[in-house]
Amino acid sequence: MKLKHTRREIKSIDLLPLINVVFLLILFVLVAGRPTTNHPNQIEVAQSSREAPYESAALSVWLKQDDKFYLTGDDPQSLGELIDYFAEKNTVGQGLVIELVADRRAHAKALLDFRQAMARAGVGEILIKTEFSGTATAATATNVGAK
Amino acid sequence: MKLEATRRKPAFMGLTPLIDMIFLLLLFFLLGSDFVQFTQSQLAPSRGTGGAQSPSQPAIISLDEDGALQWNGLPSSKGQVIQLARQQVAQDAEQLFVVMPVGAANVQTVMHTMDLLAEAGASQITLERDVFDIDLADF
Repeated sequence: MKLKHTRREIKSIDLLPLINVVFLLILFVLVAGRPTTNHPNQIEVAQSSREAPYESAALSVWLKQDDKFYLTGDDPQSLGELIDYFAEKNTVGQGLVIELVADRRAHAKALLDFRQAMARAGVGEILIKTEFSGTATAATATNVGAK
Repeated sequence: MKLEATRRKPAFMGLTPLIDMIFLLLLFFLLGSDFVQFTQSQLAPSRGTGGAQSPSQPAIISLDEDGALQWNGLPSSKGQVIQLARQQVAQDAEQLFVVMPVGAANVQTVMHTMDLLAEAGASQITLERDVFDIDLADF
């Protein structure tokens, strides 16, 4: 018996599912590869149990883990430069609030230096940006006497 | 001429692209949403820069590198600090609390101490390096 050779017709491949899957994979990689930091420039913002509404300030200063201050970019700023910058922006005259985005791993010395420098420059209000870590633990509220 | 009504056969509706798009939208919103809730802690302005006037002397809370606390020079536990701060706030709602951390303490420890005071109802919390930096008008 002679078999008839049938030639299969090549149907057009629907590319839509392929594209969708590729997009999904890209998004998966983006999510899985997201850096662990919760703030740009590798700043891990200090955590706080205080739930206060967050309002972005007109001027922000970043205190990174290396105990150096940054305005924008990667160039550290000295406290004198910061004071000059705020004077240029007329921060005191306009009553602008300065926000400090401090890395939780930075040291208190830098924080104190900043506080002191701002007080000398006449800056009254400083807001420290924090990450809400949930309500205060019952241990801190009720465990009176325990260290 | 009589026209014959043709009944259209419903075309098969592929659900796969729809589902894919839903997943894409879901992922878009998951990524676009911010899951971190930011808050703010305010440092009370010093007297010279418009700080509030309070009739009572400031309470000084010293903070060691390891988180150990002192209330006006006396070693105190966290619970004692909360209790003392509550007593002060009950007497004067504008009571000023000065946190004096050692330079080697990290920012997180400082924030935790400020949280303790805020938990006790303190609204005027500030940071100073040592007692000599505190405005004499506070005393």
